[in-house]
Amino acid sequence: MANIPAELRYTKEHEWAKLEGEIVTVGITDFAQSSLGDIVFVELPEVGDELDKDGTFGAVESIKSASDLYSPLSGEVVEVNEELVDSPDNLNSDPYGAWMIKLKVSNSSELEELLSAEDYAPLCEE
Amino acid sequence: MSRTSLYEEHVALKAKLAPFAGFEMPIQYSGVKAEVQAVRDNVGVFDVSHMGEFFVEGRDAISFVDYLITNDFQGASIGKAVYSPLCRDNGTAIDDLIAYKLEEEKVLICVNAANIEKDWNWIDSKKSGFDIELTNRSDEFSLLAIQGPKTEDSLAKLGFKNTDAEYYSAFESTWNDQPVILARTGYTGEDGFEIFGSHETIKTLWKQMMDIGVTPCGLASRDVLRLEVCYPLYGHELNDELTPLDAALKWTVKEKKEKFIGKDSLVGATSQKRLVKLSLDKGIPREGYPVLDSNDKEIGIVTSGTMSVTTGKGICLALIDRENFPENKEFKIQVRKNIINANYHTKAFVSGGHK
Repeated sequence: MANIPAELRYTKEHEWAKLEGEIVTVGITDFAQSSLGDIVFVELPEVGDELDKDGTFGAVESIKSASDLYSPLSGEVVEVNEELVDSPDNLNSDPYGAWMIKLKVSNSSELEELLSAEDYAPLCEE
Repeated sequence: MSRTSLYEEHVALKAKLAPFAGFEMPIQYSGVKAEVQAVRDNVGVFDVSHMGEFFVEGRDAISFVDYLITNDFQGASIGKAVYSPLCRDNGTAIDDLIAYKLEEEKVLICVNAANIEKDWNWIDSKKSGFDIELTNRSDEFSLLAIQGPKTEDSLAKLGFKNTDAEYYSAFESTWNDQPVILARTGYTGEDGFEIFGSHETIKTLWKQMMDIGVTPCGLASRDVLRLEVCYPLYGHELNDELTPLDAALKWTVKEKKEKFIGKDSLVGATSQKRLVKLSLDKGIPREGYPVLDSNDKEIGIVTSGTMSVTTGKGICLALIDRENFPENKEFKIQVRKNIINANYHTKAFVSGGHK
């Protein structure tokens, strides 16, 4: 059973978002890392990049396959977790600690479209 | 969707299962990385029961198989296995296979699961004039591939005979008082055996392998292992439109053979493609990614790509248009939006430890 912390928000693409004022921290969920298997490569954007909601902001790769990452919200990248580039396996061992990017939200009305833990849970049933 | 005789075992081991060539197959158990390492350093076992088994028996068994395939089968001694493409008259590949010369009048052909019906129809249509009996016994056999440097120890522990057989030898034997066919072949570059037997025999064998600590391995690690040693995979480096010459398999086309299907098209011919081995220092090449020359002109495509567990680099095989093959051997690969310089390799990424 996948771990789905109640305090976070989620997307259908299996990303999590943590809201703190106008800053949103983004990562992939426990279900996502478990489905991917051994994660061996992460491609992330650069600080200053402008992202659109649902636009790709990078990729996460297991040995077998590459999956695009989709931004849960529109905004500007203000911080990137560079540590992940050298240690992508942190995404497997600690998916909610191994954040990917922090965004400065440009359209706060989009927040309402994110899923609660309760609404996300059914998407993790195999 | 078909299941192999070991389906319940895979479920009990919590394998990730996925459809492959009409079978629900184990993709991975503990994890791809651990499974690759088990085979390179120790010993692992794959359920490859989905593969097809045809028998050719009778007075002309050997000459018939020699006529079907591009490699030399006539010249191989009894008890040897021969890898070969199976081609049409125009030289394109129907499949690649291993033919096992079990007896003077008995040959086992092992074919890719996805091609069983296509191969059967082709081979069956070519038998007139040969004194042979051809049977498709794919449904009767289960098949295990036990691979890795500790294979011989494991098989000895399990009570197998003749585990010191030569590389690429094949013979009928018994295990647990049941008939089996053993071949010192595999698809990982490591030492190992492939073991054909009845569903019951193989099920018993699988359980005993688990009991002595052989690592169960899925198709995902099998793909990494074969790609690290640059073995082609039908449907990727070879297909219905490509010839063995395109896939760097000229060594399997024996021009001196008197006759074989495809000879007129393959002997003296120049390939349309050249298969290259490329790696990236950062990033992972994937099937379908474009390959570019130093002027960023698209000259080919990645046919198989993965993260190499053994070398820690992104590796791939790619087919390059012969007419655009760069003399400077400088290649780039487009990974999503980025164009990345690739390393050109003349040897396999991993040498493997087979005998």
